[in-house]
Amino acid sequence: MDLAYTPEQQAFRAEVRAWMEAHVPKEPLVTLECKEGFDHHVAWERTLASGNWGMVTWPEQFGGRGLDLIQWLIFEEEYFRAGGPNRANQNGIFLLGPTIMEFGTEEQKARFLPPMARGEVIWAQAWSEPGAGSDMAAIQSKAVRDGDHYVITGQKTWSSRAAFADWGFGIFRTDPESKRHKGLTFILFDLNSPGITRRPIRQLHGDTGFAELFFDEVRVPVENCLAGEGEGWNVAMATAGFERGLMLRSPGRFQATAKRLVELYRAHEAEASPAAREAVVQAWGAAQAYAYNTYAVASKIMAGGKIGAEASLNKIFWSELDRAMHRTAMQLLGAHAELKRFGNGQINQWLEGYIFSLSGPIYAGSNEVQRNIIAERLLGLPRVGAG
Amino acid sequence: MNFRFSDDQLTLAESVRDYLAGTHGPEVLRRLDAEGNRDPAIWQGLVDMGLTGLCVPEEQGGLGMGLLEAALIAAECGRACLAEPLVDTAFVAVPWLVSKGETAELAAIAAGTRKVALPHVLNPWVADGEGKPLQSVDPLRNLVRFPATGSTDDHLLNLGALMSAAQLLGLADAMLNQAVEYAKIRTQFGQPVGAFQGLKHQLSSCAVAVEFAKPVVWRAAQALQDGASSAPLHVSHAKLAATDAAIQTAEVAIQVHGAMGYTYEVDLHFWMKRAWALAGAWGDRSYHYKRVDAAVLGGSQPIGPEHTFA
Repeated sequence: MDLAYTPEQQAFRAEVRAWMEAHVPKEPLVTLECKEGFDHHVAWERTLASGNWGMVTWPEQFGGRGLDLIQWLIFEEEYFRAGGPNRANQNGIFLLGPTIMEFGTEEQKARFLPPMARGEVIWAQAWSEPGAGSDMAAIQSKAVRDGDHYVITGQKTWSSRAAFADWGFGIFRTDPESKRHKGLTFILFDLNSPGITRRPIRQLHGDTGFAELFFDEVRVPVENCLAGEGEGWNVAMATAGFERGLMLRSPGRFQATAKRLVELYRAHEAEASPAAREAVVQAWGAAQAYAYNTYAVASKIMAGGKIGAEASLNKIFWSELDRAMHRTAMQLLGAHAELKRFGNGQINQWLEGYIFSLSGPIYAGSNEVQRNIIAERLLGLPRVGAG
Repeated sequence: MNFRFSDDQLTLAESVRDYLAGTHGPEVLRRLDAEGNRDPAIWQGLVDMGLTGLCVPEEQGGLGMGLLEAALIAAECGRACLAEPLVDTAFVAVPWLVSKGETAELAAIAAGTRKVALPHVLNPWVADGEGKPLQSVDPLRNLVRFPATGSTDDHLLNLGALMSAAQLLGLADAMLNQAVEYAKIRTQFGQPVGAFQGLKHQLSSCAVAVEFAKPVVWRAAQALQDGASSAPLHVSHAKLAATDAAIQTAEVAIQVHGAMGYTYEVDLHFWMKRAWALAGAWGDRSYHYKRVDAAVLGGSQPIGPEHTFA
């Protein structure tokens, strides 16, 4: 164990810091969940790419820098230190990208990864269906093979980014006789394909962050299928592992929130309750614990280890921490908590953040599902309903 | 930058774990409880493994290892609910004596002929010391009333708190494991109770709490080993995180055991009572909370994403 950064790592941190200080927008961007904010965030993706910061851990040939996970953590720390915006392409770079890296052909990697890293193609995910949320194996949307195409018919919903994104990915039933986890195939599709209708869904905050997707005999070339017909469930589980695991929610995000919470507390110290004070101190501690754990996982992976069902521990921890921090902020804000903009015209980011934090324990597999996974796969308890 | 134990460190901890699992199971705790709670043979086994000399410099006949190894093994002592005063003697007193340059007793400690319980003013009593006995809820903890003079030394307090935190990790792991094993075999409504989500989710929450307390403790051990100026903060953070994880796990574990959990017949109570005791030892929750509060809100600790290891 060596908790000191090397001179090279320190120099890298200085390089990231200088670039971020010069480029991160001084004012927070309008929320990613509306068209105007989405466009600003896409523009930011391209600014990031102009500095070659799109996805630093990817190989250079795919638009990355080939950096290791400790460097990635340093990058993320500096990104959130500078107040870097949320990543418009997070479904692409954090979820689909690693999935293509693992399962894609060389041709698919060359085709999809560089435009993703450059922010030129923004990706939406399309997992859930009206009858298949937590129970994803219940999906019904069909992809029927017709020559060198699949013909997709069905419906996806609560698709993050799908209101404005360019491409989507999801799993579809390619074997009509199949049930549950079998007979599913992972397919990438152009959201502007003929036959796709997008119905934006207003979210809790009133903006249209996700969408319902209707597929009416949408023709998708078979080369857009990842890892072969019938392999969809395994591929999707790997994608979900990336989502819950290391990359999607790096610790810097929560450490930055904890720091802002401390600052908010200082501004409200006179009227704050002792319980609110302790919640603020606990937030710092939990964000640090999450950071240490992420460094430990990164060190383990760099030494050849893997992360499996442990990803469910992470997902519960960060999502419940995020909600707790924003809840505390809402308490500290008191009567001001309900204002969408404060008297000085500034957006109430704590309110936006609190609303978003309520989705954390739901998306990427609800925390109830995660607790089942921990109980059954890490602790070895019997499956639900087992006798 | 590398937040990972070396293979040697992990092998060492594993060997201690295997040794204690093989020689110091629940039946030993029951025998000690029934027959007087120290057994020279157990102590000699620890001496023979070199554990009393783990942190004693090689010149004095020890292994010359640091606080990271000591904390790893303290966690194993917690896992085994070891009652012999190994942690207080070898992982608290020895590092403290070494830090003060007091080497006179180290050879005897390493050889196992000298046990040391250092009094600190924050502890109103000490375990395995000399003085008027007191009864602890933990039947294997031999308390004596606080000696007339106790140290006010912060380094001693930090060592004691760190090693308590490490033991609490092991205790929590063990209690979680006992609860899981019980939930697999206890059948009600025609299925193992562990198949019910009501229990699964509570046990999973314990797993989350324990998993995220661990790196806080290891980070504190490294900070104290390095003599970092922020080490007291990290030790207090570790004590808080480990205490909260252990108390949560103890409460869930007894709940999972149902009425059996409320009996003296189930092994769980030894571990649970040790956790209660260590939660208050070497600075209780309020004490360590206030140290973290003062550093974080008082401004002495730089905070934010770039200060993970500042």
